[in-house]
Amino acid sequence: MQRREFVKAMLAASVSARTMMGQNAPALVTPATPPPIPPKAAPLPAPGPVPWMRGLLDAKPLPMTPLVPDAVAHTQTRFFTRQQFATLRQLCEVLMPPLKGAPGAIDAGTPEFLDFLISVSPADTQKVYVDGLDRLDAEARQKFDLPFAGVDLQQADALIRPWLRTWMTDHPPTDPHERFINLAHSDIRTATINSKPWSDALPENDDRRMEQGLYWYPVNPDLQRRDSRKGLEGSRHNVG
Amino acid sequence: MLDEVDVLIIGSGHSGGMAAKVLTEKGISCVMLNAGPVADIRKDTELRQAFTLPYRGFRQPGQLPHVFQANEFNANTWVDEKEVPYTYAPASPYNWVRVRLFGGRSLFWSRQSFRLSDYEFKAKSRDGFGDDWPISLADLAPYYSRVEEIFRVEGEAAGLPQFPDGNFVPLEGPWGGAMERFRKVGEQRGVPVCRQRTSLGVNGLASSINLLLPDAFETGKLEAIPNVVVRELRVNPATGLVREAHFVDRISRREMSIKARVVVLAAGTLESTRLLLNSKIANSSGVMGHYLIDQIYGAGIVCSVPEARDGKSTRELMEGAAIVPRFRNIQTKEKDFLRGYALNVSSSTHPMDPKNFAAYGRELEEKLESYSGSGFHVGIMGEVLAHYDHCVSIDKHAVDAWGIPALHIDTRYTDNEFNMARDAVDTSTELAHMAGFELLAKNYDPNPPGYSIHELGTCRMGDDPKTSVLNKWCQSHDIKNLFVVDGSSFVSSGWQNPTMTILALAMRSSEYLAEQMRQRNM
Repeated sequence: MQRREFVKAMLAASVSARTMMGQNAPALVTPATPPPIPPKAAPLPAPGPVPWMRGLLDAKPLPMTPLVPDAVAHTQTRFFTRQQFATLRQLCEVLMPPLKGAPGAIDAGTPEFLDFLISVSPADTQKVYVDGLDRLDAEARQKFDLPFAGVDLQQADALIRPWLRTWMTDHPPTDPHERFINLAHSDIRTATINSKPWSDALPENDDRRMEQGLYWYPVNPDLQRRDSRKGLEGSRHNVG
Repeated sequence: MLDEVDVLIIGSGHSGGMAAKVLTEKGISCVMLNAGPVADIRKDTELRQAFTLPYRGFRQPGQLPHVFQANEFNANTWVDEKEVPYTYAPASPYNWVRVRLFGGRSLFWSRQSFRLSDYEFKAKSRDGFGDDWPISLADLAPYYSRVEEIFRVEGEAAGLPQFPDGNFVPLEGPWGGAMERFRKVGEQRGVPVCRQRTSLGVNGLASSINLLLPDAFETGKLEAIPNVVVRELRVNPATGLVREAHFVDRISRREMSIKARVVVLAAGTLESTRLLLNSKIANSSGVMGHYLIDQIYGAGIVCSVPEARDGKSTRELMEGAAIVPRFRNIQTKEKDFLRGYALNVSSSTHPMDPKNFAAYGRELEEKLESYSGSGFHVGIMGEVLAHYDHCVSIDKHAVDAWGIPALHIDTRYTDNEFNMARDAVDTSTELAHMAGFELLAKNYDPNPPGYSIHELGTCRMGDDPKTSVLNKWCQSHDIKNLFVVDGSSFVSSGWQNPTMTILALAMRSSEYLAEQMRQRNM
């Protein structure tokens, strides 16, 4: 140890020893100057007449079940052309009519919901729908001299059935029109079965009623989250 | 504040959890880092009807395009590939399916619990392709037994060398009549149809968070930091040992570092390799990132059991699950492919998928009603061969939300896998017909690589430091105090769900590490 550090250490030990003795025999030493009283924490600027959050912890939850908009409101369509939407509406009516007490796709607002869903879907999905609806309508006009929206059930069957396929999850048919007919059929069913009208119409013990699912909220989400793919447009690779 | 921790464990899934359990129970202090938050199922989830969700239960369009397992209910559990991107050549897409919640992918898995056999460990010795592992079943068998005890693997001895028996909780009850019929026709064709082997876990959960980490925390020797993304491992140039981990707080972006005597990497196969590649360490062999493997899924058939239709489905007839362990290239030699595949077989009393019928409207509803409870499904789990040029590397043009360079994945299936898938579907179809089942749908095309969530390899183990990254203890050849205990050490994939093997390897490696530390060799 350097001499200077040694002296400092001895002084520190000496002070420490005196302090200890002082604690044991307070009458023999002059009372130390009392430590300064810490100032009271500065009050936060008042946000108003009372703290904003007062009383919230004791508030009872509202006796309400949130209403889903579909119960009282209509979806405004904006993606498909008038003709495409009419074709989609007819396709919904044919593929999933009301049966055995369950609402059909029209009752479930499925065409309007799919207009929304496809409007926010990737371009390749949009193309499948747009091309598929256009082709369906063109074939109806060619074969029956009617728009698809105007054909009867038998005529619709002649246009749809040749394209129906069985397929396994994640592997829809690859031919573009087969793909459209079978994906649209699947989407129409899902959108209808997952709708509020479907749930409302079927009794609780009906096998066709959808069960509740375990929904995961975002867990401790990243508030600075950003799309790290920005700026990668035109990159030599696809970005997952 | 600690200047240095004894062991730093990166990752909290099955492998990180096992390392933590083994090491802390031997009195070694560990700190665990995890890239994501801790989920509280009571706070973070709710039972909801699909119509109350923004997209009626559809996957949010454009979100998680490579996670086929995602839906609107579980979408928030997967890593968002916009936040943590990866790149690939347009013709070779890859499904990298990740979970960063505490517990990792051990929170969500199929529970199929198999041992590898020497048909996998010593595959090259049998068919000349690839490389043998530096260990055999005999090396790993004692660890498998202990893992099976912890995970409570339910099963039945089959007595097949390619399907090693284990330390099983006995199965209860017989399987369904339809499965028994499938078993009998399989026997006629030399196709073994066996009872499934499944981790029961505790209270239905078989995860790091309930079977491994609680024991580690109980010792008082484990502390964990969630929400930190490790950016780089740094080596002390004087010693050649890994010295510290540099990480970033996921939420605040605060950059921090932690020193450790030993680092155990358990971030999941590709995240571990990405971290090592970004750190530019432990790769004197040049093999790191190469030999990416997984298993092919997606090809299979759907059938109906006629006797179970029209309201006649019963549990006795239809409930059951079976596994057909690999049967190709065991006694015979296939001309179209090396190695082999297993078949996952299941039957159930549940309603059937409308996609199985080329019908609509009333006709479809009548079919669904008639066929309900008669479904019989067969799907492939096939070995993917390890090729040097199936690899990952760092893409200098892409970074994640924390500025960490992303992974570029370059892999694809080859004729060996496609031929295997075709054989699996044709064989399944033949057996189904022999059993009197009606074939409703079939698919020959495997899902994209990665779909199985069984990505393996890229830091393969071996005896030769020139051709492998890790030694047989999952210890870096280059850096003595660095261990990689997840699936990246695999030399071949086999057809088996790799979870039991990852756990057994992590247990074996951690015990070796603990002994080295006890002997002060670390």
